[in-house]
Amino acid sequence: MANTGSAYDILFTPIKIGPKTLKNRFYQVPHCIGAGTNYPGFQMAHRGLKAEGGWGAINTEQCSIHPECDDSLRITARIWDEGDMRNLRPMVDHIHQHGALAGCELFYGGPHAPGLETRTISRGPNQYNSDFATVPGCPGFTYNHMADEDEIDRLQQHYVNAALRARDTGYDIVDVYGAHAYGPMQWLNPYYNTRTDKYGGSFENRARFWIETLERIRKAVGNDVALVTRCSIDTLYGDAGVEVGEDGLKFIELASPYLDMWNVNIGDITEWGEDAGPSRFYRIGHQNEWIRHIKQATNKPVVAVGRYYDPEKMLEVINTGVVDIIGAARPSIADPFMPNKIREGRFEDIRTCIGCNVCISRWEMGGVPFICTQNATAGEEYRRGWHPEKFEPAKSDKDVLVVGAGPAGSECARVLMERGYTVHLVDARDKIGGYVNDVATLPGLGEWGYHRDYREIQLNKLVKKNKQSQIALGQKRMTADDVLNYGAARVVIATGAHWSPIGLNHRTQKPIPGADASLPHVLTPEQVFEGKKPVGKRVMIINYDPYYMAPSLAEKFARAGHEVTIASVGGVGAYMEYTLEGPNTHRMLHELDITILGETGCSRIEPGRVELFSIYGEGSKRQYKGSGQLPRKENDSHHWHECDTVILITSRRSNDSLFRELKARKSEWAKNGIDNVFVIGDAEAPRIIADATFDGHRLAREIEDESPQHQKPFKREQKVWGVAYNPGENPELEWRL
Amino acid sequence: MKILVAVKQVAFLDDEFEMRDDGRDVDADFFEKDLNEFDHFSVEEAMLIKEAAGDAAEVVIAIIGDEDADDALRTALAKGADRGIRVWDEALADADGVAVARVLAKVVEREKPDMVFTGAQSADFGSAVTGMALAGLLGWPHTAVVCNLDYAPGAGTATIRRELEGGLEEIMTIRCPAVLSIQLGINQPRYASLRGIKQAKQKPVDELSLDDLGLSAAEVVPAARVRRMYAPERGKAELITGSAAEQAARLAEIIKELRGM
Repeated sequence: MANTGSAYDILFTPIKIGPKTLKNRFYQVPHCIGAGTNYPGFQMAHRGLKAEGGWGAINTEQCSIHPECDDSLRITARIWDEGDMRNLRPMVDHIHQHGALAGCELFYGGPHAPGLETRTISRGPNQYNSDFATVPGCPGFTYNHMADEDEIDRLQQHYVNAALRARDTGYDIVDVYGAHAYGPMQWLNPYYNTRTDKYGGSFENRARFWIETLERIRKAVGNDVALVTRCSIDTLYGDAGVEVGEDGLKFIELASPYLDMWNVNIGDITEWGEDAGPSRFYRIGHQNEWIRHIKQATNKPVVAVGRYYDPEKMLEVINTGVVDIIGAARPSIADPFMPNKIREGRFEDIRTCIGCNVCISRWEMGGVPFICTQNATAGEEYRRGWHPEKFEPAKSDKDVLVVGAGPAGSECARVLMERGYTVHLVDARDKIGGYVNDVATLPGLGEWGYHRDYREIQLNKLVKKNKQSQIALGQKRMTADDVLNYGAARVVIATGAHWSPIGLNHRTQKPIPGADASLPHVLTPEQVFEGKKPVGKRVMIINYDPYYMAPSLAEKFARAGHEVTIASVGGVGAYMEYTLEGPNTHRMLHELDITILGETGCSRIEPGRVELFSIYGEGSKRQYKGSGQLPRKENDSHHWHECDTVILITSRRSNDSLFRELKARKSEWAKNGIDNVFVIGDAEAPRIIADATFDGHRLAREIEDESPQHQKPFKREQKVWGVAYNPGENPELEWRL
Repeated sequence: MKILVAVKQVAFLDDEFEMRDDGRDVDADFFEKDLNEFDHFSVEEAMLIKEAAGDAAEVVIAIIGDEDADDALRTALAKGADRGIRVWDEALADADGVAVARVLAKVVEREKPDMVFTGAQSADFGSAVTGMALAGLLGWPHTAVVCNLDYAPGAGTATIRRELEGGLEEIMTIRCPAVLSIQLGINQPRYASLRGIKQAKQKPVDELSLDDLGLSAAEVVPAARVRRMYAPERGKAELITGSAAEQAARLAEIIKELRGM
């Protein structure tokens, strides 16, 4: 591929990683997807697809080397035994079919993996409890056991055995995972390692465990596989941890002879959003102030991440010697075909990662497959058979009217057009994107606009391919009569949702008395976006929502000079703990002097004041007092709080009146040539952008299926009763008597 | 009562394109064709008059072009116009605005409309001459770049507003029938519904030749001829790559070159 005279040739120039050759500079670093070893089809199809899309190497997620490292309920891969090897092999084979290298990340979490399934205790340099919320929301929950030299030998042998199993599974690369405060990093990092024997104290002693482990693996696998280590070169807490200018570079220099490539990043696991930086706080290449020093300390190739989605930036970091290879996790999820698109010069077709970290949120909450806001097919490759770039041709010539060009409507229209249907997409706004147009104006969320931009570009290309298709923006809102008279065989209603203007909320399922956004001093988020109502000096945000709206609006108004208070029934931005936006969001709220009243509900709104109460103010004692009587005492914590403007971030409700009226007039469908009317996205039920996008995509894929309004069952990967996982095992119940 | 709207199928260039071998036009392989943007507004204006008159007015779309031009014609019909007329003859292949006006004049004689609309200009060549030439040939009044129109079907006059230089506006009365060149922004053009698109396929279109209109090829010889079409050389951009030192060296080289050192 190289030497076509293109400026991008360097990205397609092969590079040696020890005994293996990486065919280009695109390296999918290990990242979780929710497949682990229990969903081998998911694992195979998701990773294999990236090989098809041009990635030079594709890694597993963190792959536990031994039952002593059990990260459940977060889903990770495991390479404990032959059963796991069998389940990982389809991934390897699929990757190899497309000429890419397959990598296995050898993971030993120490106390950062809670052992909830295996009930094991991990070994480490000292005894400490994890600073990471091993059980979500509960940092400090999980302890380890200090290893003596016997235990050290045993642990290193676990790594060796796992590396051999990885080799025998067919992996080309093994990566000893020492980033994110995992595995050998706990030995190098003086934050954890306070030993005084030959494995602690001096830098050389703290590095000993890692170096010995690499040596032992190399001795076992030889040149059968390329040996890589993933290393955090700065843990970001100064001299209490590893600093790039001290232990970081020294370790790179010391360990280089033992390995074939460096996979480097910064930070730890407790705040791994400093590595997988959300776009709210971090731009492309945000780690390079640290990473740029690595190549001066090693002659081995260096791969690093930084949410690389822009080919120009990739060229820059390679040409200026920051890295040799572009590492990517999130951009490879948003667009598994990014390398091919760059090679073909199709830059405008790249589905750019928006850095929302919703993918990560699914791993962080534990137990569920990941999703992607941009790429609705991520995680759906195997179970639904969805290819991100290829589509089943239209099965009929039934044309479709899509009302609403937000995430669900624009994605539905895009996929229908890709399939070859004639589609008319209609929206009242002048721009495709619906709600995303508003959200992307919130502080730090500008890159979320990439979600809209991708669909806008694709739809404008697709509409040119079919003269019968049409995108009509800036139109008056369609009535049921308009829809009935439109002449479409199928109608998709994607009219979105709105924030309750009367304070409907999940705690009472009723309005908040006095909450009325038609009054001058009460605003919904939509009214904030419109910018027509004046906002007073003292802003009170009444928050019943767990995601980004409250902290975002608080930031917006605080930066504009308002005094902002958030009264919140739950944690402010609670979900953002899962997207890794949490820590810096709380720092931002603190920095801007935003007052947070926690565990606080609102019982009444009046001009100039709101009545607030502690949600736990009704006493802990419950007793039966007869019908019509509350089982607890009356909440006596109510108090008035003065403010000039109230912003209601309570519940959302679907904009479903058009759909309801059309359903009510079902008898008129046939005479108007309408086969069916569907409702998708927020218009069906409010949800996050990723799920609205998915719903639009799903309907477009399934529109010829039976009952397309309702999801077609997918292929489930479940253990089959009566079948042993490992050879020689008896799957029957065997009492140990 | 009848309004004739003369429309054009215009060509858009792809991002990258090549010239024809004779160097007088872009190779048609690199065109995308569509209804002239201005004509969306003239068709809409006719449709608004028709609808205000309770559909008593007939809107006839006229286009000059080969079968390819049917797409543009049907686009206009899909918005609700009643019928179409497409005139074609190989002799019209290089027709300029004046030649097109000669053809349209014959169409007007045949149709006898109460009003003729054209777009203010075509998006591809922008000569803005067809409407004016047509009015000249017919001996009808003409107004260019109409921004607002007050006209009741069958009325003897229409009131027109035009925007002039320096933010001035001009209000004028014009005797009908007349030829009006309609400016962008006079209205908000509608999109066709799927029903409109389907119905447009069934609407009558008269396909006429020069013969049918009593014209000879000699009468539509263009008054002007394109000699050459080309993309003038422009300033070049260069992506400077390499190490910082290499980039700096290349930059210095370029500066020296530009300064003639």
